[in-house]
Amino acid sequence: MSQEIAVIGSPEFTTGFRLAGVRKFADVPSDEKDEQLDDAVEEMLNDDDVGIVVMHDDDLSHLSRGVRQDAETSVEPVMVTLGGGTGSGGLREQIKRAIGIDLMDED
Amino acid sequence: MAKDVKPTRKNLMQIEDRIELSERGHDTLEKKRDGLIMEFMDILDQAQDVREDLDDSYDRAQRAINMARAMEGDVAVRGAAAALKEHPELTTQSKNIMGVVVPQIESSKVRKSLDERGYGVMGTSARIDEAAEAYEELLENIILAAEVETAMKKMLEEIETTKRRVNALEFKLLPDLYDNQEYIEQKLEEQEREEIFRMKKIKAKKEEEEDALATEEEAQEEPEAVTADD
Repeated sequence: MSQEIAVIGSPEFTTGFRLAGVRKFADVPSDEKDEQLDDAVEEMLNDDDVGIVVMHDDDLSHLSRGVRQDAETSVEPVMVTLGGGTGSGGLREQIKRAIGIDLMDED
Repeated sequence: MAKDVKPTRKNLMQIEDRIELSERGHDTLEKKRDGLIMEFMDILDQAQDVREDLDDSYDRAQRAINMARAMEGDVAVRGAAAALKEHPELTTQSKNIMGVVVPQIESSKVRKSLDERGYGVMGTSARIDEAAEAYEELLENIILAAEVETAMKKMLEEIETTKRRVNALEFKLLPDLYDNQEYIEQKLEEQEREEIFRMKKIKAKKEEEEDALATEEEAQEEPEAVTADD
């Protein structure tokens, strides 16, 4: 089954992806992120046609706790965050919990 | 827990069998956990490289689109973005790493030539083309990152479950079984000692009785001997 890439974020963030052909997107203006971002993310996570959800790492802080956890641990679709460096999107925490040491510590 | 079992030989044998099985399972799971961690380390190196590329291409793409916005205006960029007709598609296959099913994502129509993009060549400038190209490259890197990070998430879940199982066996199940084994062994030994003591008592009592009987018989025989002399 073929799936698509989805983008969630401010209109400035999503425009570039639309230029590359991404059809599924959710524009959430910066001042309404606290109210609307949760619904947008939930909708994308529940969409079977979506294989990858792209978000900016800073936007994760606008999500409520439950939705953020769902997004970070979701495998289908998988969430890729941009702008947060290695180990963003909860991966670093998960590694610390599973392995017992912080493997992404750059020092 | 130790007091729940009946101290019988049958139970002891059953517990010894369970200990053997649990120890074997514990060893196997420990090996599985170590193997998974080693596989995970390989993927982690790969993931770090992919992440670096992803961040670089994101910076490049942002610069390109900001340039396009500055030169052409936001409306022109959005207009071009809305005109796209070809859309990237993903197909997922799976690969098995030590029992963990990880996805292999294949994409099509991510890179597009100028005439496939759908916005008119005449109406837009090279800046928009550059931005579109930069974002196409970014999408390719995102797909790679998604593949590697999903694999990492799945492996981490498996490592966590295996680790929990190993710990449960090592710190809960096996100590309980050893406790039960020791309890039954001690009880059986105690029963054996009691039995020996009882036997000794019975033996002593029997000997006492026999002695008493013997002295009685002797006592009876002696007066008879006296009467015979008469």
